[in-house]
Amino acid sequence: MFPSGTMSNSTSMSEEASVSSDTRAHDYNNSMGSLCTPISPPYHQQQQQEPQPKAKKKRSQPGNPEKNILLVLAIDPDAEVIALSPKTLMATNRFVCEICNKGFQRDQNLQLHRRGHNLPWKLRQRSSKEGVRKRVYVCPESSCIHHHPSRALGDLTGIKKHYSRKHGEKKWKCEKCSKRYAVHSDWKAHVKTCGTREYRCDCGTLFSRKDSFITHRAFCDALAEESARLMAATTDAAAATAMTTSISHPLLHHPLFLPFSSCDYLPNPNPNPNCNTSPYQVKPHNPLPSLLHHLPTTISPYLSATMHPLPTTRSATISTAAGGQMGSSMFDAGDPSAWQRSDRLTRDFLGAAAGDTGEEGLLSLTGALGLDLVTAASCDRGDHAKHFVGFPPVTGTWGDC
Amino acid sequence: MDTLFRLVSLQSSDQQSSFKSSRTSSSSRSSKANHHLFHQPFQNREEEKYREECGNNYHVCVDEDFSSSSSSKHLQPHPSTAATPTPSTAATTTTASTAHVLFELADFSFPPDLNIDFASSSSAAAGGGGGGWAAQLLLECARAVAARDSQRVQQLMWMLNELASPYGDTEQKVASYFLQALFARLTSAGPRTLLTLAAASDRTCSFDSTRRTALRFQELSPWSSFGHVAANGAILESFLDAAGGGGSPQPQRLHILDLSNTFCTQWPTLLEALATRSSDDTPHLSITTVVSSASPSAAVQRVMKEIGQRMEKFARLMGVPFKFNVIHHAGDLSELDLDRLDLREGGGALLAVNCVNALHSVSPAGSRRDLFINALRRLQPLIVTVVEEESDLQAASGGDGGGEEGEEGFLKVFRESLRFFSAYFDSLEESFPRTSNERLALERAAGRAVVDLVACPAAESAERRETAAGWSLRMRAAGFAPAAFSEDVADDVRALLRRYREGWSMRSAGEADDPGGAAPGIFLAWKDQPVVWASAWKP
Repeated sequence: MFPSGTMSNSTSMSEEASVSSDTRAHDYNNSMGSLCTPISPPYHQQQQQEPQPKAKKKRSQPGNPEKNILLVLAIDPDAEVIALSPKTLMATNRFVCEICNKGFQRDQNLQLHRRGHNLPWKLRQRSSKEGVRKRVYVCPESSCIHHHPSRALGDLTGIKKHYSRKHGEKKWKCEKCSKRYAVHSDWKAHVKTCGTREYRCDCGTLFSRKDSFITHRAFCDALAEESARLMAATTDAAAATAMTTSISHPLLHHPLFLPFSSCDYLPNPNPNPNCNTSPYQVKPHNPLPSLLHHLPTTISPYLSATMHPLPTTRSATISTAAGGQMGSSMFDAGDPSAWQRSDRLTRDFLGAAAGDTGEEGLLSLTGALGLDLVTAASCDRGDHAKHFVGFPPVTGTWGDC
Repeated sequence: MDTLFRLVSLQSSDQQSSFKSSRTSSSSRSSKANHHLFHQPFQNREEEKYREECGNNYHVCVDEDFSSSSSSKHLQPHPSTAATPTPSTAATTTTASTAHVLFELADFSFPPDLNIDFASSSSAAAGGGGGGWAAQLLLECARAVAARDSQRVQQLMWMLNELASPYGDTEQKVASYFLQALFARLTSAGPRTLLTLAAASDRTCSFDSTRRTALRFQELSPWSSFGHVAANGAILESFLDAAGGGGSPQPQRLHILDLSNTFCTQWPTLLEALATRSSDDTPHLSITTVVSSASPSAAVQRVMKEIGQRMEKFARLMGVPFKFNVIHHAGDLSELDLDRLDLREGGGALLAVNCVNALHSVSPAGSRRDLFINALRRLQPLIVTVVEEESDLQAASGGDGGGEEGEEGFLKVFRESLRFFSAYFDSLEESFPRTSNERLALERAAGRAVVDLVACPAAESAERRETAAGWSLRMRAAGFAPAAFSEDVADDVRALLRRYREGWSMRSAGEADDPGGAAPGIFLAWKDQPVVWASAWKP
């Protein structure tokens, strides 16, 4: 719907990135030679200490440093880094038959075609032992992340597709949802599934249209319960990380969720196996331990106890691809400065608490902030119910909807 | 019919059948008994006449009772009525004479010049705007009201009352709501009727009902989602251009001033678009929603509060930094002090103003509309999206649109309202299933709008829509220049329309004639009649 430059088919990208030294690389030896600007290998080797990918990445990036470095180290540490010109990357059908002017993407295909004209043809063999180095390709666009050799892609087709997707003109458009694609194969793949995909809300309703699904989801009652459960599962983590998720987010509304940490800690509802989110399931374990440093040690057992349900609840919640955002952005809390920032926020809200009537009591509770909540959370859950039972208006509105 | 059926004499004493009924304080639903007074004389003596004049359709209609209540009462003929009226709720205070004097046959003779074509189908009517029997009768009645021909008015209203029903087909519904409005006008009870109806709907208003109605409407009809998709696309694109081009690598902040009556159903898709656009730097979004009404209602406040909570949760789920504010403004929108709202968040945010059906709620009196648009201009927003319904309902006769409208003005507004709301009702009829509470709620809301238009003075009206050309003139005068929708947005809109039933089409506004570019933007058309206009403006 809206211009989204990064919406590319992640599976195909990762496939290509993981392809190791390919015969194809060598076929372009002669034809591409004049257009390549090889970058000297020593430069590349300095990049092995490249900083790790940012914590925010939600999918394994193609050409990510570890993979590439591993790849290259394993196969060929002296790989040649090549930056092709945009013209080359966008060119299709560079090999043209002189008889009928038919264009081909590969020399091999042209040769096979020449057979049909009874022309002499010659299929090249892949020459692997001649000292031809493995080539990795970088994007010529300087603002692009793949411009850097450490993020080079190992596959020529991969870099061509990347260039089209990111920096090329999107010439292919889906009829149903008007999504645009630069690469023909992306477009074809999308058209196959567009409209056939059904969206299921947590409340059980099925939608065939994405926009009505999203609008429904935003106001759905299931959303209310979902968040309540999430908050329940991660009261302490949520108190900290939810604040860092949206720094200017009014804390006033957070206390509203807390009452529900007491009620119905629902067991994992939908075994909604959304395979897109499987990478996320691994992630939560990493940054969370860093949170432990900030919290009193008494609750660490509690935290670790809650860590387990965390991935699954999150994957259940995330029924759209965008949901991955939540997973990634919540882990910024590992950063100590973020934690302190949130602390300041809550203290501010304490001062600003006068505005809202029914919630002042809650605010003063949270005033001691996250730490108190956390310790409360660590004890019997029943305490929560007692804490917040005094605020029926809040629960009332929730219950009604 | 739900309203109290009272007639007042429009002309003073020279009328033979001056009929005054006292005001009854009973609620509108107990008025069925009144119908006896009118029905009885006709049942026997007039039926043959009707049969001749009007054709079989009407005859069939007369026998069946479309009104939901008191059907049994209606159809019991009392031959010897004249002497025994049943004034259960109405106490007539006419001069001495009992009811029978008022119902001299001659007085209620069927107007011979009335030539209603009942056979023409209403669907043809909706397209043409005046072909169905309801439209014809209503127009005749309006003319009679304008001409102060009380006898004719009574006759026509009687007929309409018989035929109309808010639960029937489109023609009957249109007849019902417009009759209610005409009646309110005759009895000078427009504002009061409006208040009563609004209070009635407020009683049943809740977050759940509002949500269900709004979402179902958007699911079944592109009437509101058309404007939403166009506006979201324009806002997002202009924001990305401004933020991306600005060069700063940090995520930008976008503040949206939302003046609309669609209960924030526009924003989830925008949030999703922001979230999926880029995983790294999702911009911060703040939305300030202004809900303005002449009389603030607690129900609406509760609804908006709940909406706010859900939006925030949803934004959190999407991973979009989000802030939500609701402002309940009592009174005219033009009185809102925009500067106090901290719309730029101290200078850090880009501002977009979204006006969906908001501009026409500003009173047309004086130059309030121009003042309001000027105030918007002073905010120096990045973009202003205007979505309005395409209909010229200004009482043009006075020049400044305020004060009393002359008869000409009344007829013009009436005709135009009839056309527009007929199209609206027709589209509702064809989009929703036969029985639908949501559609009923929407129709009732439209009925309130009709009462406002027909029976209330223009200066206090919040329903005086203008055409695209009219709004464009105002926007340009305030210093805005039109910003065309990009091809992508146009494609999105077309794709949207494809998801709905047949009958909807999109049309670009600036197609016709005018080299000056009379109206930028795009129209949503129902059966080739433009009904909703969406446009974008930049300072």
